[in-house]
Amino acid sequence: MLPALAMAVSIDGWMNTQMGGDSLSPQMGRIDIGGLLKGGNWSLVIQERYSHEDSTGIVPRILNSYSRTDIDFTIEAGPVSINPDVCWTVDTGDNKPEIVLPVQAGVVYREGFIRPGLGIKADVSENIHLFARGLYWNRDLRQEDDYDLDWAETRISGGATWDSPWGTSLTVAALNHRMKSDFIDYDADWSRVDINMSVQPQSLPANMFVSGEVTYSAYSGTDYLDSDIADRLTSRLRMVQMVIPSVSVNTVFESVIDFDDGITRSACTSAESRIKYRFLQNREIPSSVLIYGKVSRSAIRTERAGIFSRINLYGGLSLLLDAEARVTPTAVAGAGPERKRYTFGPGLEYQFGTTVRIWGIVEQERTNLENNENWWRLRAGLELYPGSFYF
Amino acid sequence: MTQFGKTLAVAVAAVILLVACKGPVENTQLLINTEDCTGCGKCVEVCPYNAIEVINGDAVIDPSLCHCCYRCVEECPEGAIY
Repeated sequence: MLPALAMAVSIDGWMNTQMGGDSLSPQMGRIDIGGLLKGGNWSLVIQERYSHEDSTGIVPRILNSYSRTDIDFTIEAGPVSINPDVCWTVDTGDNKPEIVLPVQAGVVYREGFIRPGLGIKADVSENIHLFARGLYWNRDLRQEDDYDLDWAETRISGGATWDSPWGTSLTVAALNHRMKSDFIDYDADWSRVDINMSVQPQSLPANMFVSGEVTYSAYSGTDYLDSDIADRLTSRLRMVQMVIPSVSVNTVFESVIDFDDGITRSACTSAESRIKYRFLQNREIPSSVLIYGKVSRSAIRTERAGIFSRINLYGGLSLLLDAEARVTPTAVAGAGPERKRYTFGPGLEYQFGTTVRIWGIVEQERTNLENNENWWRLRAGLELYPGSFYF
Repeated sequence: MTQFGKTLAVAVAAVILLVACKGPVENTQLLINTEDCTGCGKCVEVCPYNAIEVINGDAVIDPSLCHCCYRCVEECPEGAIY
């Protein structure tokens, strides 16, 4: 009896520190600290984040500091799982992020929010599952003269999933999101009904995995231009093939079609592929090379290709190599509609078993803004996972 | 019909549907690939319209607030928004 009770509760903790600065912003970084307390039919997760990073996406950058706390409790009683949680953020920097309000109500400053939530899941039978979740945000948005906008949002969702015996599952879900601010006399909401069907064929070769899903989302509500939000059909196909035991290829195709006032439009088409080669697998830290590429075409063009490799040198010491080329739209004034970035950098990593990981990469980025810019960047991190303790 | 035949038929139907579609217009709602999203929250930080939130570890765009300024697309380190 006593040993059983002694094993009844376990505690896990982790910490992840990342810093990354370049010639423009040398002091960016974040710390994530978390803990998990787990009993027989309950768990409590507490996570804390401190972050100092760009809050505008433009150059020159404007940095902001914020903290985010997540407390998430789950208890299971038979087939029912109840999950109350609360999350809050506090913007602590001197440069509070500016938020552009809807209905041309001006600009305010973001100071944080508190968001309690409650989720419930129930297994009606082995194949039928019900779920519901409610979230409430109380946002601290203030005008320059410190008036609080009294901005609140609610998000209520729920649905049911049926797992068929043929490797398919059908989900029907609905969601309503409402925003309200008495101060600017704003009260708007939008709703969505999703019908999702996913398939995972079972009769495939052992070294192959294929999954596909199709979702039809019917929207009710308007966007910022007061136009109806278009209904959307999203389909995604994923194929994973282990070519030989050390090489795997993971490919995803995605197609999104909008139904907009009787007009059918291709909203987005994308394809992504990752090839991973593992070698020196008999060593303490396995080595690998990941080559990836992705293209998407929608109202914008994005392209991304790169390579990331970890080559074990000795014991826990590995050599890292990171290279990437990207094309995205840009918000930087005068930089043109697209931004091309080329990043390259070597680094080192040391792992003490599964407890501690220390890494650092020195990168150079060439990016076309108003002029071609060359930035040096240092990225480093410390990850700490002391393991589970039982009491 | 074999498994391959069914897959081929679905793929051909998808291509025909895509070819028949008109192209995307400006202000087409953005898409977040939740398989690539790590929930880092950088998109939340740079969104000037408060249109993105991290819920259950994934970024979620509010289609009624998004102005398609694409700052999140440029900032996302995983290329998960497009």
